Amino acid sequence: MAPAELSLKLKAGSGNRVKDFLNANLVNILAALLFFLLALFLLYPIIAVLVKSIRGPSGFTLEYYRTFFAKNYYYRSLFNTLLLGAINTVVCLVIGFCLAYMTTRGPYPLRKPLKVISLVPLIAPPYLFALSLIILFGRNGLVTRMFDLHWQLYGFAGVVISQTLAFIPLAYMMLENTLMSLNPNLEESAYDMGASEATILRTITIPLMAPGLLKAALLIFVMTIAEFGNAAILAGRTPFLAPDTYTMITGESDFNMGSVLSVVLIAPCIIIFFVHNYLLEGKKFTTIGGKPVASEPRKITPVIKVPLIIVTTAATGAILICFAVVLAASFYKILGVTDKFILANYLDFTSNQAIANSIRVSFIAAAIGAVIGVLLAYVIVRGKFFGRSFIEMASLSGFALPGTVLGIGYLLAFSAEPLKLTGGIMILALNCVFRFLAVGVEAGISKLHQINIEIEEASADLGASFLTTFYRIVLPIMFPAFIAGFIYTFMTAIVSLSAVVFLVSPGFQLAAVKIFDAAVYGEIGIASATTIKLILIVMLCLAVLNYVTKKTRLGSGLKQPVA
Amino acid sequence: MSGEAVARPMLILKDVHKFYGANEVLKGISLDVKEGELVTFVGPSGCGKTTLLRLIGGFTEISAGDIILDGKRINDLPPNLRDTRICFQNYALVPHMTVAENIGYGLRINGWPKGKIRARVNDLLEMVELQAFGDRMIDRLSGGQQQRVAFARAISLEPKVLLLDEPLSNLDANLRLIMREEIRKLQRRLNITTVFVTHDQFEAMAISDRLVVMRDGLIEQVGSPIEIYERPANRFIASFVGYVNFIDGRISLIDEATRNTFVETEYGRFEIALEQADIAAGDEVLIVVRPEAVTLSLDVGIKRPNVVCGTLKSYMYAGSLAKCTVEIGTMKMIIDQYNPSEAHHFKQAEQVAVEIPHRVHLLKKKKQA
Repeated sequence: MAPAELSLKLKAGSGNRVKDFLNANLVNILAALLFFLLALFLLYPIIAVLVKSIRGPSGFTLEYYRTFFAKNYYYRSLFNTLLLGAINTVVCLVIGFCLAYMTTRGPYPLRKPLKVISLVPLIAPPYLFALSLIILFGRNGLVTRMFDLHWQLYGFAGVVISQTLAFIPLAYMMLENTLMSLNPNLEESAYDMGASEATILRTITIPLMAPGLLKAALLIFVMTIAEFGNAAILAGRTPFLAPDTYTMITGESDFNMGSVLSVVLIAPCIIIFFVHNYLLEGKKFTTIGGKPVASEPRKITPVIKVPLIIVTTAATGAILICFAVVLAASFYKILGVTDKFILANYLDFTSNQAIANSIRVSFIAAAIGAVIGVLLAYVIVRGKFFGRSFIEMASLSGFALPGTVLGIGYLLAFSAEPLKLTGGIMILALNCVFRFLAVGVEAGISKLHQINIEIEEASADLGASFLTTFYRIVLPIMFPAFIAGFIYTFMTAIVSLSAVVFLVSPGFQLAAVKIFDAAVYGEIGIASATTIKLILIVMLCLAVLNYVTKKTRLGSGLKQPVA
Repeated sequence: MSGEAVARPMLILKDVHKFYGANEVLKGISLDVKEGELVTFVGPSGCGKTTLLRLIGGFTEISAGDIILDGKRINDLPPNLRDTRICFQNYALVPHMTVAENIGYGLRINGWPKGKIRARVNDLLEMVELQAFGDRMIDRLSGGQQQRVAFARAISLEPKVLLLDEPLSNLDANLRLIMREEIRKLQRRLNITTVFVTHDQFEAMAISDRLVVMRDGLIEQVGSPIEIYERPANRFIASFVGYVNFIDGRISLIDEATRNTFVETEYGRFEIALEQADIAAGDEVLIVVRPEAVTLSLDVGIKRPNVVCGTLKSYMYAGSLAKCTVEIGTMKMIIDQYNPSEAHHFKQAEQVAVEIPHRVHLLKKKKQA
């Protein structure tokens, strides 16, 4: 092309100011719309909870907070919750560290199986562990009867054990990630200089892991204190904040006190969020990057090896046993009490109906969630407007918020006209959408970061409008992220319990709530069979995702879901 | 120069093999490294050079064969019990320790008393010219300074063999040249037996007493840089160490007294001073012509021995040298013309004369089965 012609063309492209302006504004319009949705379905319910906690029949009052701090019962509830969080965090970190150490530094043949078992709880609803503990150690439990024991599973110990097992995958994933990102040459160098395994751990590995350990500790703490299912099933008479909130609402219909408990539950989350940001500020240890070398197994000294083996064997063994007993229990009315092998639990009408309802709700949630997730990811990564970081934080925060809070929030926010949604299927779906929005957004963001913005700029440069570019370039590239967001949201929604337990109506039962009720009322067979069905659905989802990933070469960088 | 006294072998590799599952990454490596010698493993990525280094250091388990260090078999010793110290490509410095703590790490681990550690660390700091940096944290150092710290730490315990895994690859081009001289100077001064790994053939030639050229888990050739460059054992090595033009030919006559040899090619007959003993009349050979060995002239049309004419396809003047492409029949020959004083004439030339030197390396072609 002659230079004259070229310059003519360029002039025509850049001269279209109106079109450029509209193109820029389309992103803003999209952002405004998403902002509105986040405000309505995420912020508004939380504000409703806050307001409810300080508004009595005659306006503003702090009476409910005074009641909370005056009553010994609530005080114990708070104390138990924090203690549970602390114990869980420490135990999970120790177990997670041992597992991660073995799968990144241990002998090759052990690495893969240990990793798989550590992650297996992810395919099950977390309250599977409460259920399996009842089957083993409950009043009619297998172990209880076998040794004629007179112990009490229901209470603090039961909750701690079930929660620990449920949070092993999270601890493992975070610590494995940290260990994998350490340069193995640092440890090898120390080894080369004559340091023993214990010395390497003390002087190199653990100091290097410190930021990762801290991050994992804070996250596990926040998630365990907010976790509802295990505590609600196994707490017995021991008070914990999350299940107490549930009793307050469903048992006593005291929305004011329920809101107060919720706010108290959010407080540590918010404090920890800021502590986390403050502590990790500029704390990144940088090392010169070379080619990453996988850690080769070292000859680990017995002082370190023996505890490692004991902890990893115990943890993986416990996980496997829990799965096995739930599977076994699904074929008996009550395993260990009735001996007749039956399939009736799988054919139970209410259970199957609950499963069908769960699939419907999760499907709707996944479809909406994936669309909003992809759009939000786009706006977060590519947008340049005021409040962008707020949108990012808001869309990722639903995950860290205690489910019970969003459950009550939705009850409070959407029970009156013109926003009356309670009693319907949409309130359940929308709740899942906004609680698990982070899943789709993260998938979208990680995909978008792999796309060079120049592809879009090239498209715009060739004269395409924003909409054309979005439709022709962005959407096809984002499609795998959309699929991933859809499936992850579906999987997470279908097992989730803590929020929907407030929102189900008597005529519309969900599988998670059905399991919860059955476990509480001692219908172990039904609870187990329903759990197994959920596991199978989740496994099917993973298989589909795996297939899609292979087909589309969806890059790495997707976070595993945390149920 | 090395080899003035008959140095004893410090490190011996005997038929070393390494399997990863069914994948054989080292296929029988045998080598002697003399005391005080700097030997470089060089080869394209995936040739097994780093694996071999890690095997000597004890980080990777040997599958078969022997590693002998100073007369003792060390196959089964872990790295900490071998008298070898490694310096990793990424330096592997501990970010939460100071420079002095990093250098003194090995001494501390080995129970040296505090005072002695301090003295030794100071010596080492001086040796790598970082006296003023002892209290700095690692991330406050430049890449070159980090390199020195890693080197100082590796020699802190006075190992019998020092292993350097691509130590210069994270530095920019100028710093690489400086650091490679410094490493070489210190290595000579301390007379420390060193195994150096790099994928950069020029770095390898510049720093080493001997090169070990590897490919696909095997040693292709061992020799001094001059031997490797001027008398490569095969086509792969010839093209690995710099660009090379190959001319197919057949030996028609060897004058047994002068070793003067005629090689018949598509482009005519070349007269070459034969150095190899294993080449006989009738052999198919490749003439190895380095771009800088060729003389380019504008004297077209005068018939001289070893001169062929061709079309100058490109002439890229770059100051100290001009890169030329000359088409001779079906062959494109790359020629480096150093100190190109008549550049303006060549720039306009179409036909040029290309003179192949009399002393040039020949590669005997393997007979096709």
